[in-house]
Amino acid sequence: MMQKEISRRRFLQGSVALTVIGSSAMCKTDFIYPKEKQKSRIPESITTKTTTQKAEEIPFLCGICVNKCAGFARVEDGVVTKLNPNPYFPKSRNMLCARGNAGIQTTYDPDRLKYPLIRIGKRGDGKYKRVSWEEAYNAILHGTDKFKGLIQILEEEKDNRSTIAYCNGEGLSKEGFEVLMGEEIGTVNYVDEVSICLETTLGGYFATIGTYGEADLSNADYLIIAGANRAEAIITPDTMDLFKRSKGRGLKTIVLDPRFTNTAAKADRWYAVNPGTDLAFVLALTYVALSEELYDKAFIEKYGVGFEEYKNHIISHKYTPEWAENITSIPAKEIIKTSREFMSAQSPIYYQGRRSVFSKNDFQLRRAMAIFQGLSGNLNKKGGIIYGEPLKLPEEEINTPIYNQAQGRFDKHNIAILSQRAGSWMVFRDMVVEKKSPYPVRAMFMRKHNPIAGVPNSAKTIQFLKQMDLNVMIDILPSDSMMFADVVLPEASYLERTSPVASYGLLEPAIVQRKAAIKPLYETKTPEQIYKELAEVLSKPLFEISKKYDNELQEEIKNRGEKNVYKEDGYILSDAWEKDVEERNRERVVKAFGEDAWKILEEKGVYYPNIEKYHKQINANEYQYYPENKKKYSVDTEDIKLVFNFKHLATKGVDPMPTWKDEYIFSVPEGKFRLITGRHAQFTQSATTNNMMLRDLIDTNYLWINRRVADKKGIKFGDMLEVKSKVGKVTIKAYPTEKIAPSQVFMVHGFGGLSQDMTMAYGNGANDATLLEDIHEPVYGAAVMNETNVEIRKV
Amino acid sequence: MNLNKIIPYKKMSLKELLTPDNKLMALIAVVLTALFFIGVINVLVHGHEIYNVTKDHPWGLLIAMYIFFVVSSTGLCIVGSFGDVFDFKVFAPSSKRAILGSIVTILSGFAVIAFEIGHPVRMMIYNVLTPGLTSAIWWMGTLYGLYLTFMIIEFIFLMREDMKNAKIFGLIGLLVGLAAHSNLGAVFGFLNTRLVSNGVFYPTYFILTAFITGIYLTFLMYGYYYRGKSFPENINNMLVNFAKIQGLLIAILIFFEAWKMLTGYYGGVPGRADVITHILSGNTFWLGEFMCGMFIPFIVILFSKGKATKLMVPASLIGMVGIFFMRYDLVHDTQLMPMQNFMTRVYQEMPGFVEYFPSNTEMMIGFGAIGLCLVLYYLGTKLFDLTSTCHAD
Amino acid sequence: MARYGMALDYKNCINCKACEVACKEENGVLLGADKHRIWVGVNELEGEWPNIALSSSVFMPSQCQHCDNAPCQEVCPTNATYYDENHVVRVDVDKCILCSYCVEACPYGARYEDPRTVTMDKCTFCSDTRLARGETTTACQNTCPTKVRTFGDLDDPNSEISQLLRNREHFSLKANLGTKPKLFYLM
Repeated sequence: MMQKEISRRRFLQGSVALTVIGSSAMCKTDFIYPKEKQKSRIPESITTKTTTQKAEEIPFLCGICVNKCAGFARVEDGVVTKLNPNPYFPKSRNMLCARGNAGIQTTYDPDRLKYPLIRIGKRGDGKYKRVSWEEAYNAILHGTDKFKGLIQILEEEKDNRSTIAYCNGEGLSKEGFEVLMGEEIGTVNYVDEVSICLETTLGGYFATIGTYGEADLSNADYLIIAGANRAEAIITPDTMDLFKRSKGRGLKTIVLDPRFTNTAAKADRWYAVNPGTDLAFVLALTYVALSEELYDKAFIEKYGVGFEEYKNHIISHKYTPEWAENITSIPAKEIIKTSREFMSAQSPIYYQGRRSVFSKNDFQLRRAMAIFQGLSGNLNKKGGIIYGEPLKLPEEEINTPIYNQAQGRFDKHNIAILSQRAGSWMVFRDMVVEKKSPYPVRAMFMRKHNPIAGVPNSAKTIQFLKQMDLNVMIDILPSDSMMFADVVLPEASYLERTSPVASYGLLEPAIVQRKAAIKPLYETKTPEQIYKELAEVLSKPLFEISKKYDNELQEEIKNRGEKNVYKEDGYILSDAWEKDVEERNRERVVKAFGEDAWKILEEKGVYYPNIEKYHKQINANEYQYYPENKKKYSVDTEDIKLVFNFKHLATKGVDPMPTWKDEYIFSVPEGKFRLITGRHAQFTQSATTNNMMLRDLIDTNYLWINRRVADKKGIKFGDMLEVKSKVGKVTIKAYPTEKIAPSQVFMVHGFGGLSQDMTMAYGNGANDATLLEDIHEPVYGAAVMNETNVEIRKV
Repeated sequence: MNLNKIIPYKKMSLKELLTPDNKLMALIAVVLTALFFIGVINVLVHGHEIYNVTKDHPWGLLIAMYIFFVVSSTGLCIVGSFGDVFDFKVFAPSSKRAILGSIVTILSGFAVIAFEIGHPVRMMIYNVLTPGLTSAIWWMGTLYGLYLTFMIIEFIFLMREDMKNAKIFGLIGLLVGLAAHSNLGAVFGFLNTRLVSNGVFYPTYFILTAFITGIYLTFLMYGYYYRGKSFPENINNMLVNFAKIQGLLIAILIFFEAWKMLTGYYGGVPGRADVITHILSGNTFWLGEFMCGMFIPFIVILFSKGKATKLMVPASLIGMVGIFFMRYDLVHDTQLMPMQNFMTRVYQEMPGFVEYFPSNTEMMIGFGAIGLCLVLYYLGTKLFDLTSTCHAD
Repeated sequence: MARYGMALDYKNCINCKACEVACKEENGVLLGADKHRIWVGVNELEGEWPNIALSSSVFMPSQCQHCDNAPCQEVCPTNATYYDENHVVRVDVDKCILCSYCVEACPYGARYEDPRTVTMDKCTFCSDTRLARGETTTACQNTCPTKVRTFGDLDDPNSEISQLLRNREHFSLKANLGTKPKLFYLM
């Protein structure tokens, strides 16, 4: 089909060069990107109407949240004019959400960090000096009159590399930062988003069924989704699969949420569960299933570990529906009905959830959920929780030094299990702030992470950052946390960089590559380039320090000569980035899948074996990625298990079987409200609040308050409220609604920016982290988000 | 060519022309005109953004004032035609003055609408090149253009005392004017989706209220001309007759309105009954439209049997205030019901009745045009002899 | 030529507003709540917490209905609003005088003023962007996570939309006004 646009004079010019394509919904004119022609330009207007002229369509991977959707960036004359979904990626299935579409505005955000900066004022006052990259690196090394450099800090700490800490948010370049900080520079002190996100969920599921798995929602017929809001916290392909089939269309959906969310709006039944009491609900579901013997006996026979003990545990504790009704406020008969329906369904799923830790019992809750799922036997099969088979990319070997002076992790105060890689943000921070760490932590390297907005109790995070001798921030936008950095390194946005290839998916696995749509704007650099350059600058001077304090290194040098040791033992820290990302991607993909795979990946942004044979368009909206018989519904894996009684946990002081404790009951004093927090489909990260397009959809965050309560207090829509907790206070507009319980209030996360340089986000709305008390759960030390009471006052 | 041969006018010096005989009135006219031009400059500099009209309420005060002026014009045309078209001798004295009035009011209306629509020049071009024949606005605009032409020709013949031709063009002008005016009513009447306006009411109501407006304005013109003096016998006689007609017309209007409200309210049809309830709970209807526009003048007429011609002058001024509210309300009430009757933003209350209040610039242009009208009328009365009564025979 | 229409599986809609953003980015629409070509409408919920009526919670994705008998076209004094060769209701910016009569006449609130051109603007079914390039989907359809929209030729009996409309019950908005919308809501 070819169309000419002739009715509007101003488009005549553009219609000369028309693009003709076949049946595919996309317009791909030029996949092989002519590198030498590549140029970047800032568009004149906020939105740019796409033209009919020839344009480049570059495959990219969205980075506005953590989910990773694939798309094609339409580039016209050096400007990204439109982001379109990529129909080849089985995970995101030809879709981009509102945030994904608005990603253009992040790249062209006028508030972006454009040049390296060095702090010249006080921490937090936003006074910075523009410097060259070289000056910025040197400042990290040598410091200025305002802050100390790494050399001085490490000298003073006698080469204890762990005096440097670092944090990083989720992303494709995160691993590189971990290599730089953890392996090359050599610190153990690492915190990331996991301990303020899904740590207990991952832990609970792995401990119980050996995987977090993938919920096959396109084939399930019964779904309990509790504490997960897939209509507003979009995760692919779950969101698409779920809502296409919900509300009486094949997937009976039971939603548990204290709020009436958009997910609840699509439910067949919504239970306004008392926050933090899901565990009681699941235990009661289990009680019904066990006492009525509704479970899959054959499955338990084969995979179950400690079933009889668990059964006795549940029955003897009398976790009856009537017992749970009092705690959860879900009627007993509804619990009985739900359990029976679940167990009699062909393919029932109790959705695992993700960002969790709503209450202190979260780990046990996830265990109980996984067990309940296991009781149905609906694991490793179509319509159930899938173990699947990810595509594997070859690992890369890097040569890293051993630092004998580096000391170990200490963030284990009051927690049972220390996670392997990153520790508990909250425990780590609090121990440093409260001087409980065995050695001083003096430098913080931050990348793509805004702990002031993300970690409960912002005041403490600020105190933590102020306490450091050196703070370095690598980011795209001047976040709240950036305001406390001494050296700021501006990173290219995800549309301006090629990222390391990644593998996604278990049921329909694929390899995906983000390619740079345009060259980095301003003086920004890609993360890998920054890692490399920083490593180059640090190598020699840091080696000199190690030489001074590390006896074993001195020994080695004596034996083998300094040059050899320096080279062979990995002290050239930039080794890992010798080849650029493009080249490494090519090598890895070719090694694993061959030359053709690389060509397909370059062109389509996505590759999986037989993609050309398997991938078909079904209709205008839907694609087949794998034929039905090639999907990894059931795999032969030793991971499959169902651990009812995890005895080893007892040795760590953790209940080996999910147990309800009265201390889990959270009370809201008269006149106060329980603060709950969450997401909207338009805002997830604190950075999105500076996105013009998204701000256009929601101007600020509001405090949900029950309409009847608001009426009594004389609070109307849009009234300003002061919200106060033990640790902080904010002001925020009121949104009276029946979607929330009279004893609770809710605000969407991410607003209330402190950074004056984020002009749209600054002072707009309220930051939930300012109010949230720093409570962590006992297993991993993960932050508990929904156990803060607040008082409100009209101002 | 001698202009005086085309249309006889009084020769006078510029100084004479610019020497008003009533300083207060002159001041009012000049201030209002100045406001009009300030408003015009404002909108030329800032664009339409400076108006308080919105996506949900795209028509505001300027449309109301345009209607106000063109209704006045049509009304004066009807009044004027009594003497020169229909040969009612008792009304003959009013013809020249009324036709002049109809010309200056419609010119003022055009001045307002020129700054209401986005592209007046483009309008003139494409009205001709690609006429939208199914559009009431096209018919209304085109017919008003013709109407103005005929009114001017009629006025010329009146000035020339050529009553035969005046009568012909007066009749054509009247018919075209009535057609134009009922089409203006149809602009609202055709709106199928706006239940409160849709239907036969506005096209007929517009003619009725035009007539009423014409009589109010006639009282004002004569009241002003004979200020501080008593009316001459023939004028007084004419005004008494106008007052009696006015009494009848207002009675009919009250009857019309009552039934419009009742039929609108009856049955509780959403989008109509709720709008009627909203209208009836507002001051602009009861105080503005009813008290000013109908009740007070009606009481004056009723209790004096139409003979209190002097008292009718202030009553007519109050009546014109009422007429303004009728125009304003008809525009506003038509748009009360939002077309997107749901929430489209995440944080929003359910949209209720659409709210609107004119911006300063809109008020400057809208009300300032009254000054423009007064200035034009003043120049007309200075330049032309409007007092001599002519008869067709 | 074609007669384009759109079928909306509106129960799939989760009110994420991806369509609205995709539309703005594709068509260079200005920001501002009153300048959207497409939107998702939400009704007031019925009931009090926790007894909210699930049945009252409906998301209605909508946009210009591209009526076959479009009131906005009928009232346009200069024929600036016209049906293009694909029966898409369009605005010729060179002819529009911004009298706003179309806004008054449109029962769907689908029109708004674009202050850059000082003329009326509205959904074009991406006629001058995507369709002009030969693509077969609109921006809103293509980006939708739950694939609410199906766009296509109503005159082609084999098109996906024709088949959908033959096989599934559907309704149109304010059909009683006789506007003959070409947006169809699937039940």
